[in-house]
Amino acid sequence: MSDEKGRVSLSGIHKNFGSFRALKGIDLEIEPREFFALLGPSGSGKSTTLRVIAGLEAPDTGTMKVDGADVTYASPGERNVAMVFQNYALYPHMTLEQNIGFPLKMDGVSKKLIPDMVKEAARKVKIDHLLHRRPGQLSGGQQQRCALARAIVRKPRLFLLDEPLSNLDAQLRLETRVELKRLHQSMDVTTIYVTHDQEEAMTIADRMAIFLDGDIVQVGTPEEVFNRPNTIDVAAFIGSPPMNLIPGRIEERNLAVGDHRLELPDAPTGASGEVIAGIRPSHVRLTGVDGVPARLLLSENLGESMLLNLAIGDHVVKLRLPEVRRFSEGETLHLAFDPAHIHLFDPTTRRRIG
Amino acid sequence: MALNPHKAARLRRNAVLYVAAAILLLIWVVPIAWAVVVSLKTESEVLAYPPQIVFHPTLENYRDALTGSFSILSSFVTSLILSSATTVLTILLAIPAAYAFARLRLPAKKPLGFYTLVTQMIPPIGLIIPYFLILNKIGWLDSYQGLIVVFLTFSLPFAIWLMVSYMEDIPREMEEAAFLDKANRFQTLWHIILPQVRGGIAVTVIFVFLNAWNEFLFSVQLSGNHVRPVTVAMYNFVSVEQTLWAKLAAAALVAMLPMIVIGVAAQKQIVKGLTIGAVKGGGRR
Repeated sequence: MSDEKGRVSLSGIHKNFGSFRALKGIDLEIEPREFFALLGPSGSGKSTTLRVIAGLEAPDTGTMKVDGADVTYASPGERNVAMVFQNYALYPHMTLEQNIGFPLKMDGVSKKLIPDMVKEAARKVKIDHLLHRRPGQLSGGQQQRCALARAIVRKPRLFLLDEPLSNLDAQLRLETRVELKRLHQSMDVTTIYVTHDQEEAMTIADRMAIFLDGDIVQVGTPEEVFNRPNTIDVAAFIGSPPMNLIPGRIEERNLAVGDHRLELPDAPTGASGEVIAGIRPSHVRLTGVDGVPARLLLSENLGESMLLNLAIGDHVVKLRLPEVRRFSEGETLHLAFDPAHIHLFDPTTRRRIG
Repeated sequence: MALNPHKAARLRRNAVLYVAAAILLLIWVVPIAWAVVVSLKTESEVLAYPPQIVFHPTLENYRDALTGSFSILSSFVTSLILSSATTVLTILLAIPAAYAFARLRLPAKKPLGFYTLVTQMIPPIGLIIPYFLILNKIGWLDSYQGLIVVFLTFSLPFAIWLMVSYMEDIPREMEEAAFLDKANRFQTLWHIILPQVRGGIAVTVIFVFLNAWNEFLFSVQLSGNHVRPVTVAMYNFVSVEQTLWAKLAAAALVAMLPMIVIGVAAQKQIVKGLTIGAVKGGGRR
């Protein structure tokens, strides 16, 4: 175990399926023992990337290394990776005990040792009382745990999870999310996690890569991605709801949107001309009559907070209010924008300014 | 007691269904029932007109058909060997072939799959002469190997395509999971695929055995006195001078027996083949 750390490097990975360019040159470094999320909408290439890492898909070009060794064309079995599939892929004709023991059996582990190792893994995910059942006799949550147990029963170098929570109901998803995090801490293995659910990625991952259209557009910690999205597309994807994006102009450290002007003392020098300004709904405030007037279109009560949809001219702005109040739709409210939390993007390159 | 109208309608519907089923069953059962009756009569009783309803049943015909001068017993054994060997070889060859068609990336997979079916597209009668000439040339006429090879040319394409459809039903992830669990292709086939297509294998075995057992057209041309399947041997009871109907009926019923036994025994297996699924949201069909 000593030199097996689980550092993954992908460089220049291309993959086409027919004329569909699934991956357009992926470069990625995943640190040892990291909980790393591959986040993106469906069809963005995150699952293909995971399958390349697993060895289930060979890239057209590019290399993949684990701890410095080139494994681009190594078979899945040679890579010592464990994977939990979205549909779990349990073997229906085997009991849970046989399912969990299968990788050990294939790895040539002595028959005497297998039952104890299986029990140990089953106990970790709390299904040790179900070992004699078959997958068809279990609930979705139990099947998911069985798939987890099968993955952790041996000591893999990489632990891969392909949307493992997407088939669970909302309540169970929250519980399992916490357990996955705990499991990762106890296993101390590099974990790569594919999800389209940004909240899941934000809460669970140490770092994440955001995929859009077969490219990685940003890599960073959840805080970095949330606080400094580096393109308009990331800004429009991260956050629920994502940030408001409004076209405007920068003139002498002032942001002009329509007739309204906002002084941006921290605006990067040299920024001028057309921009897309972004601000998160929680950084828009209600203020007195000196604020920007906006018409209330819709208010959503979220229990502890409220989400207001407001119209400033032609633009819809969302505002998160940390309290619940009563509004009547159509009424005019006044808004203030916190200049420190305004993100600027170049509308042509779509990249962050500053 | 008056029936309510719903119940009455349902009864009427059921009655119609039962009558239809009874008619179909009758069409199917009458020849076999007739053969049973004939096999229990003497040859002269069979030809008596009007047919005798009341007669003394005798097992004489069965004794003759099995151990008499026209015994089909050795042909019965021959058919058993031919059918079993055909079935075993078909399964052994069809499983890897079907797996390859279902899963591997092969060059020219589509044309290969298409031409596998070529014997199924040609009228069998058109193949008899080439087969005869070929077997004659290599000295395999009237031999076990000759007939088995000919039977394989029909059973293999059929079995491969039947197995392909069963194997394609297994989710790919299941195999990928096995590969990640360090199983090689052979282990994956053995531990993961085959147990799940047991039902399909059972169905294939039954059809292949049945076809080989019932085969007549090729057997009658390509067999002889040495290797004579039971379908051909039954013709011993038919000659220019007379047809021994009672003995023929007895022989035919004996020849039917293995099929009936297999059918009844395998019924359960076929149903069992519909294993409950491991993949969320669906069972194996």
